[in-house]
Amino acid sequence: MATELETLAAASVSRKRKPEHKTGKKPSKRVKQKASSMAAPKPRKPSRKMRKLFRKRAREYHSDEEEESDEDPSSEEEESDRDLDFVDDDGSGGSERDDEDGREGAQHGITRFVEGCRAFRIAFMKIMKKHVPDDPLGPILSAHKKLVAEKLAEEVSENKTKAEMKKEKQMEADKGHVKPATFLDAREKLLVSVATKGVVKLFNAVSKAQSSQTGLNPSGSKNAKVMAKQRKQAFFSELQKPTTQFCDSKSMDKNNELGWAPLRNNYMLTSSKLKDWDKMPEAAAVVDHKQVLSESSSDEE
Amino acid sequence: MARFKKKNKTAPARPVKNQPSVDHITGQKIPKSFVFSRGKLPGPLRDLELDLRKLMLPHTALKLKEKKRNKLKDFLNVAGPMGVTHFLMISNPKSIPHLRVARTPQGPTITFEIHEYALAADIARSQARPSCPKELFSNSPLIVLSGFGSGGQHLKLTTIMFQNIFPAIDINTIKLSSCRRIVLLNYNNETKLIDFRHYSIRLQPIGVSRRIRKFVQKHEVPDLRNLQDVSDFVTKAGYGSESEADEESATVSLASDIGRVNRASTKSAVRLQEIGPRMTLRLVKIEEGLCSGAVIFSEFGKEADDAHEEEEEED
Repeated sequence: MATELETLAAASVSRKRKPEHKTGKKPSKRVKQKASSMAAPKPRKPSRKMRKLFRKRAREYHSDEEEESDEDPSSEEEESDRDLDFVDDDGSGGSERDDEDGREGAQHGITRFVEGCRAFRIAFMKIMKKHVPDDPLGPILSAHKKLVAEKLAEEVSENKTKAEMKKEKQMEADKGHVKPATFLDAREKLLVSVATKGVVKLFNAVSKAQSSQTGLNPSGSKNAKVMAKQRKQAFFSELQKPTTQFCDSKSMDKNNELGWAPLRNNYMLTSSKLKDWDKMPEAAAVVDHKQVLSESSSDEE
Repeated sequence: MARFKKKNKTAPARPVKNQPSVDHITGQKIPKSFVFSRGKLPGPLRDLELDLRKLMLPHTALKLKEKKRNKLKDFLNVAGPMGVTHFLMISNPKSIPHLRVARTPQGPTITFEIHEYALAADIARSQARPSCPKELFSNSPLIVLSGFGSGGQHLKLTTIMFQNIFPAIDINTIKLSSCRRIVLLNYNNETKLIDFRHYSIRLQPIGVSRRIRKFVQKHEVPDLRNLQDVSDFVTKAGYGSESEADEESATVSLASDIGRVNRASTKSAVRLQEIGPRMTLRLVKIEEGLCSGAVIFSEFGKEADDAHEEEEEED
């Protein structure tokens, strides 16, 4: 029964790879021999765990073929058979030739796997044994060693130049940008004192100007009278200002900078004040207090 | 393809804050400014531009959108109806940062080279306790110009320009509580450099211990764990040193109360803390027009001036 199944399986394999069938025998024999020869120095029986692993791998190896050949139930039996064979093979050292021939199709996976594993092992050992020259680039598994080295060197130099360019750009962008020190140096202190002086001057001036109004306590009858007088005066002066201007001309009223801007006489001409700034230095000194402040502070310097 | 058509949606009409172009009390025209860049700026300079905008608050366009294709003329066209009187332009020709201050619409234009600058963020980073509350920027700063009197005509023009860039103060009506910031321009006659600084003004009552001042300022229950008696809180002097000995020069007597701690009857000390950008400028050129016209003053010679003009045209 087992043989029948094997033939079936073999047929299924042969159906697929006809050209391989003929040649496949010889290598398989060779492989067997090799395997037996290889098995000699090795521990004869792989451990149970390993066997299980081999089986599993073999199954995986064959899995797509089996899917195509839709012989799932038989394949399982095949596997069991294969397992037996494996044990046999190990035990008897591959003495039964004809049996092997018949089994060839079924054992394909394992032999191949063994071969592949061995090949890989040899290749890997070879690589590991190789004495690697002490290159800064490290070992290169390429035929075009020089080319690769060149390319890498080029890349490095390119990166270097790029980094330099970037740094340069950054420097250019940051030109003039200074991070201030955490302490106040002499210059900063001087500047702060100058600014403080200016502020103090202004505040004092303001308090002087405003204390004449606020210094008087409105609750006192005497003070109240004075305040009322002041208010009256201020009111009249305010009243008189526009009336005198109004007498001169109607448009002068708008000259008072109140109301719609285009109706003003000096609309869009305000910069004329600055045009001949060098001819009338005194005229520029407007009632603007800031100027008074700045000039006085500049005099101190 | 109706769905691809733009819906006839308009942005919800923002309540237009009608900023008066004329001061209510003094009746003087309020100067307004635009701060923008000419040409492409690197990152730190763009930050400087934003800092300058903040400095120019409240009479400036803080969120002024500028595009690459915006010409000077575009800004000028907008400036007329908006009542903008000053332009501050930052450019970076040949990677030397420049600041141009101009009056609209006819000029003059003053060009400065920015030798060194530090951003507001840098300054805040350098301080142990940086503080920059938003209320500072609700009023325009005071300006102090110092050292400009010694120079020639070009310095005089610079003074006038900077004085007019912020609204004028009337001593009789101004509220001291609205003076919260100060811009200092200090001209150094030897190096011919102008130091541009921006400070916040703080007033502190003199003769009051720190604990009590803090107690009045903050509305917090003080920590009395380490005291034997409540009276210790008042009598015991705090170990915190009065770092800056109150010089007589830095004290003011106020005309009216400012805040909770600075009463009119007591003396107060003026404390300045640096905020905002710091710049070291060099006056390079003054032109008659708005970035054009005859050159009134030039730091360089005649030939150098021509070359300078060419590079100005590039951006």
